[in-house]
Amino acid sequence: MSNPVIAHTLPNGMLVLLKEARSAPVATSWIWYRVGSRNETPGRTGVSHWVEHMLFKGTPQIPVGQLDRLVARNGGVFNGFTWIDYTAYYETLPADRIALGLQIESDRMVNALFEEAEVASERTVIISELEGYANEPETWLDEAVKDAAFTRHPYRHPVIGYRADLEAMTRADLYDHYQTFYMPNNAVLVLVGDFDPDAMLRMAEASFADLPAGPSLPPAPAAEPPPQAERRVTVRRPGPAAYVQIGYLAPGCRSPDFAPLAILDAALSGAKSLTFMGGGTQTNRSARLYPALVERGLAASAWSSISPSRDPYLFELGATASEGVDPAAIEAALVAEVTKIQQDGIAESELSRTRKQMRAQVAYGGESVTNQAMQLGMWEALDSYRRVDTLLDELAAVSAEDVRRVAQRYLTESRRTVGQFIPTEEA
Amino acid sequence: MSYTDSGAALRHVLPNGMVALIRRNPGAPTVSVRGEVRVGAALEPSERGGLAVFTGATLTRGAGERSFQQIVAETEGRGCSVSAGGGTQASGFAGKALAEDLPLILEVLADMLIRPTFPAVEVERLRGQFLTGLRESEQDTGYRASMAAQAMLYPPGHPFSRPSSGSLASVAAISRDDLVCFHRRYHPALTSIAVVGDIDPPAVVAELERRFADWQVAAAPEAVHISDAPPLDCIQRRTISMPGKVQSDLIWAVHGLRRAAPDYYGAMIANMILGQIGMGGRLGEQVREEQGMAYYCYSDIDADLGAGPWMAAAGVSPENVEPAVEAILAEIEQFRAEGPTDEEIDDARAYLTGSLVIGLETSDGIASSLIGIERHGLGADYITRYPAIIAAVDREQVAAAAQKYLSTESYVLAVAGPG
Repeated sequence: MSNPVIAHTLPNGMLVLLKEARSAPVATSWIWYRVGSRNETPGRTGVSHWVEHMLFKGTPQIPVGQLDRLVARNGGVFNGFTWIDYTAYYETLPADRIALGLQIESDRMVNALFEEAEVASERTVIISELEGYANEPETWLDEAVKDAAFTRHPYRHPVIGYRADLEAMTRADLYDHYQTFYMPNNAVLVLVGDFDPDAMLRMAEASFADLPAGPSLPPAPAAEPPPQAERRVTVRRPGPAAYVQIGYLAPGCRSPDFAPLAILDAALSGAKSLTFMGGGTQTNRSARLYPALVERGLAASAWSSISPSRDPYLFELGATASEGVDPAAIEAALVAEVTKIQQDGIAESELSRTRKQMRAQVAYGGESVTNQAMQLGMWEALDSYRRVDTLLDELAAVSAEDVRRVAQRYLTESRRTVGQFIPTEEA
Repeated sequence: MSYTDSGAALRHVLPNGMVALIRRNPGAPTVSVRGEVRVGAALEPSERGGLAVFTGATLTRGAGERSFQQIVAETEGRGCSVSAGGGTQASGFAGKALAEDLPLILEVLADMLIRPTFPAVEVERLRGQFLTGLRESEQDTGYRASMAAQAMLYPPGHPFSRPSSGSLASVAAISRDDLVCFHRRYHPALTSIAVVGDIDPPAVVAELERRFADWQVAAAPEAVHISDAPPLDCIQRRTISMPGKVQSDLIWAVHGLRRAAPDYYGAMIANMILGQIGMGGRLGEQVREEQGMAYYCYSDIDADLGAGPWMAAAGVSPENVEPAVEAILAEIEQFRAEGPTDEEIDDARAYLTGSLVIGLETSDGIASSLIGIERHGLGADYITRYPAIIAAVDREQVAAAAQKYLSTESYVLAVAGPG
């Protein structure tokens, strides 16, 4: 049995989550900030992601270029990432070096320099990152679908931001965002690994307890108004194949309907690995979309997904068309699978299969301290770390009727945005 | 038959020559299986390019008494997976399961390796998926630059001159009979399998004995042999124009070395310093951190059974192609001329030995390491010896490898982008 999670809130409001995991001499330190593209205002899209980059660009204690060397010299790996609702950083190290992770994170929570020269050089790095994504037809379609699916909520813009905003962003914009959101009371520290939890908590207190709490956070973004009609977007550019992507406005992860929607997703394309970092198994080929689209020769691949989010986001379906297949036929086949579930629900055998798949995916995720900490931190940033455990119970409580009900309620024509990418002849 | 119990890992040779590597890792209630048959695209005729990859992928499409649909229903239904594929030098297979389901995945993997059925309808479905994948690759700037670089580095007919996934024309031409014939090259004496997880090693040995005992192949095994390419004697450059793209991928490359080469460790550490450690070594520091020209700039060395490329890559705006090439060449030239600093050597050695425990944390990581150790005959005690091997690599060895292999006078350069 795995050890319990110890939760401790420091006086400055920062939550510390600790979990002892002794199976390998490794430990991981994660810090999560409740900030992402969700918290961005018009003209400043991409600011959260850019701030994340700047946290690797030096503090007075750890000058630019030294952080990566320091971690490498200690046998560790590190990274950071920004998503719609959160920004996270981690260092995974040999267990006897984990103090370095705490040192780095407590330092850069308050001391990041944001030097003008580094801001300038990072601007072109981030535009280069954007241009890399902009080489992919899937990106063009995905951005068009998100842009149409949301009219007011910031989920409509890409996490990396709009190019024009990136070109205009100033050091003051970045620093202001950092000062607003990088505060102990907006952060969660997660430590998992081969350590004594009491000693580790004392170490965390020594690193973070003296950092001052920040002011209260800006108000939540505007809610997305309920959509009244289907929206459609078509992207025509040179490309290797036609793609279809359909997004239905669906509730966030705090809704009681999230678990039935997760089962619905699993019925369509298998229970997913719960981590970003691999280690799970492929479960889509025995689910509904693969036989209906891929085995029938309509598509080379087909998928569905629901990402846990703070505010209502998208339940998505998509496919890559086989050569010569009209994207309209792909769209019809995807929608037909949704309609079948709306009419007939799913079988008990699909429910029990999904539960077993979820149990397996959780076990695979538990092999690595990095993945364990990622799960705890992500759920705490979105809702509560307890969801890591309770989600399996929530899923077990879902009935076939619940799945049909959520399919009928959310996967409706008026809640959907349909995107098609149609390849044009090369110029 | 022989047992070699080296610390925690058990090496067991089956009577048919197949090698089993077994290690108990009770950290999670799971088990990982990794394996390979050392046959690959290096053995296929170039007009049948993609045959090894296609053959590997077809193994899950029907094996023993099970159809593809039964294989995925039974395995995925329990949250397990089985997979197989092919590459230039070896054809890999894998399985992952909750520990309680290990017997199922070993049964299915044995059927896949020994008794694949190659159903015609499944072959055609897979072909369609491969062709779509190839069309997508054809429009991928990184793939196109990489393929152009390899085609300049290696002469026509050399297995590294072409992609293991084949071309639209060659994959279209592969018949079901070609797949059946290529599968006859699968031989237990060229096969190793690693099983790592919350398992009882003697019971796994017995299960493997039972599942693979009847894998007998009359023909002698034919191993992959990859010849060295003639040395480069000039600069070759190729530009691929791809309408609709925004960014260019550029690749500089020279010939590298085999894993078995005596200067492997020197070259591996030279590569780490040049383009890996931290944010992409010296190349990342210069091209990304200093000049802000690219989101990624790194180097990589493919030292395996054959001497693959030693390459540096970056993704840049079209107007930055020339400045990025100049910056990469300048870093390579300086590294060749001056070698690494003592601090860089210390950092690289500390990273390689320190991070060993991270690479061996999961059952997947351990199983992959065991298969690599077996492929290159590094010995059952390799992981124990590794820190001493790394500690013994000195500055001179690293500098010598950089001077021997890297070049700013004879290299290939491929650029794919908006053009």
